Amino acid sequence: MSIYVHRPTAGPVEAANWTQRQVIATNLRTVVGRAYPRVRALAREKSWLLFEILLPFLATSGFVFVYRALQAPAAYVGFVVVGGAMIAFWLNVIWSMAQQLWWEKSQGNLELYFAAPMHIMAVLLGMAIGGIVLSSTRALVVLVVASTLYGVTFVVDQWLLLGAVFVLTLAALYGLGMILAGVFLVWGREAWHLTQLLQEPIYFVSGLNFPIGRLGLIGGLAIALLPLAVGLDAMRQLAFVGQPYVTGTPPPEVEALILVVMTVVFFVIATWLLRTLERLARREGRLSMRWQ
Amino acid sequence: MAVDAPAKVRFAGDPAKTFDRRRPDGHGPRDTVRSFRTAATLGWRIEANWTDPTLFLIYSVAKPLAAALLLIVMLDVVGGAAARQLRGFVIVGSALWAFVQSGMSGLAQAVLEDRERYRMLKYLCVSPEGLVVLLLGRGAARILIGAFAAAITLVFGIAFVGVRFDPLGIDWLLLVSASAIGFVSIVALGMAMAAVCLQSRQEAWSYPEAVAGALFLLCGVVFPLAVLPQFVQAVGLAIPITWWIEAVRDAVLAGAPSSIGGPGSLWTSVTGSARPDATTLLIALLATGAVGTLASALLFRISERRAKARGLLDQTTGS
Repeated sequence: MSIYVHRPTAGPVEAANWTQRQVIATNLRTVVGRAYPRVRALAREKSWLLFEILLPFLATSGFVFVYRALQAPAAYVGFVVVGGAMIAFWLNVIWSMAQQLWWEKSQGNLELYFAAPMHIMAVLLGMAIGGIVLSSTRALVVLVVASTLYGVTFVVDQWLLLGAVFVLTLAALYGLGMILAGVFLVWGREAWHLTQLLQEPIYFVSGLNFPIGRLGLIGGLAIALLPLAVGLDAMRQLAFVGQPYVTGTPPPEVEALILVVMTVVFFVIATWLLRTLERLARREGRLSMRWQ
Repeated sequence: MAVDAPAKVRFAGDPAKTFDRRRPDGHGPRDTVRSFRTAATLGWRIEANWTDPTLFLIYSVAKPLAAALLLIVMLDVVGGAAARQLRGFVIVGSALWAFVQSGMSGLAQAVLEDRERYRMLKYLCVSPEGLVVLLLGRGAARILIGAFAAAITLVFGIAFVGVRFDPLGIDWLLLVSASAIGFVSIVALGMAMAAVCLQSRQEAWSYPEAVAGALFLLCGVVFPLAVLPQFVQAVGLAIPITWWIEAVRDAVLAGAPSSIGGPGSLWTSVTGSARPDATTLLIALLATGAVGTLASALLFRISERRAKARGLLDQTTGS
C-alpha cells in the first residue's frame, strides 16, 4: 500500500507529522526524480554526443599533441588523458551543481523546491547522481578512445585503491559542488562569472596536464584544498606506477585519506549551509524569488 | 452581457500623412547604429557591473593567464631546446586564443541569456533591427574583454616568460590586415554558435567552449600542425583562424616556427615551401574567412527562421 494514502487528521500539524518511513521514501523519490532528467537527457538531445563527447575529446587531444610536438615521454600523454577524463566531472560540478540552485531561482523553480516536503540535500544528491551518470559517459569515452588512439599504457598495482580514490574524488567533488550551489545562490548574478573563473585557473593549480609536484607550494595548497588536484595526483600515482617524474606529493594512501576528510567536511558544510539558506528562504522569502 | 466594440482609432488628420511609416520599418543606418550601441552598452553592463573593478580585472585576466601558464608549465616539465623555442609561439597562440574564445562565446551567451534568463529574445526578434545587430552589440563587450585578456597575456609573456618583442621588427601591415579579416571571421564563428544555441537547451552554455577546444587542436594554436595526421591538417587549413594565428604570429615574432609549414606538414609537402609568405597568408585568410562568414550568415538565417517557426524563441529548458 502506498505510504502517501490519505489519512484523516485533526489538523495541519498532525498532517505534517510524517512517519520516518514517509520521510525517507519521499527523499529517495526526490533523489530519483531529480536525477531522472539528467539521465534521460542522454537519449533526448542528440547534439550532446557532439558537444559533450566528440569536441571535448578533441580538446584533450590538443594537449596530447603539445607533448608530442615537444617529443615528451609517452607517459605524459597518459597524464593528459587522465586529466581530460576527470575534467568532465569538474565541469559538471561547476556548471550543473554549483550554478543549479541559482539557475532554478532564475527560472522560478526554487520556491517550489523549498516549499516541497523534502530535504534540499536530496535534490542536490539527485543532481549529483544524474550529473555523474552524464559525465561518466564523456569521461569514459575520453579515457578509452584516447588511451587506445594515443597508445597510453597504464601500470596499476592497486586496483582497489585506485577505484576507492576515484569514488572518493567524485564524492569530494560533488560535496564541494553542493557547497558552491549554496554560496552561488547567495552571490546571485556573480555566480556565472565565478563559474568561468573556476575553469582554467583551477585546471592550472590542479595540474590537469602535468604532475602537480612541479607547482611546489601552490601544488601543495591545491592538494590540501581541491579534490580535483588531490584526486588526479593520487590516480596518476596509482595508474602509472614506477614513473620517476611523479614526485614531490604525498603517497596515494595519504591522498585517499585527504579525500575522505574533504568529503566529510564538504558534506557537513553543505548540509549546514543549505539548512541555513532554506530557513532564510522560508523566513524572508527573498532568496528563492526570481529577480531578487 | 454585450461586449463593447473596440473604439476606432482616430487620427488628427489624414492617416496617410500622420502615420510615420519609418517607425515599423526603422530609420536605416541611424537606427542600426543606435541599436548596436544600446546593445553593446547593455552587454558591457551585464559583463562588468556585477562586481567592483578590482575583482573584474582579476576575473578578466585570471582565465587567459592561467591557460597560458598551464602550457608554459607543460613546456617546462619536458624542458629541452624544443620547449624553449616554442615559448614565444605558445604565448602568442594563447593570447590570440583568449580573443577567439571570447568572440565565439559572446553571441551564443547572449542568445541563451536573453531567451532563458531575461526572457527577452522574442521581443528582440520583432524589433525593427532584428536579432543580428542586437546580438553583435551584446557580443561586443565580451570581445573587448577578450582583446584585453589577449593583451595582458602578451605583456605577461614579454615580462616574465622571455618572449622577444621588438616594435620595430613587427610587420604592422600584415598584423593590421590579418587582424581585421580575422576579427570578422571570429565574429562569424560566434554567429554560427549563436545559431546552434537558438536550437539548443540551456546546457549549450558550454558549447562555444567545446567548439573552441576542438578548434584548439586544429588551428595550430600552441603546436605546429605538422604533428597532426595530414588529413587533419587539411581540415585545419580550411579554418580561417589557422591562417589568422599564423599571420599574426608571423607579423609579431619574426623567425618563430611556423604552425602551418615545416617538415612533415601538408603545406610543405604540397607547395614545397617552408612556410606561407605574407601575401599567401592574407589571401588564404580572406578566402577561408569569406566562405566561413557566408556559411555562418546562412546558418544563422536558417536557424532564426526555424526557431520562429517552432516557437523556440521563448522556450526555457533545464535538466
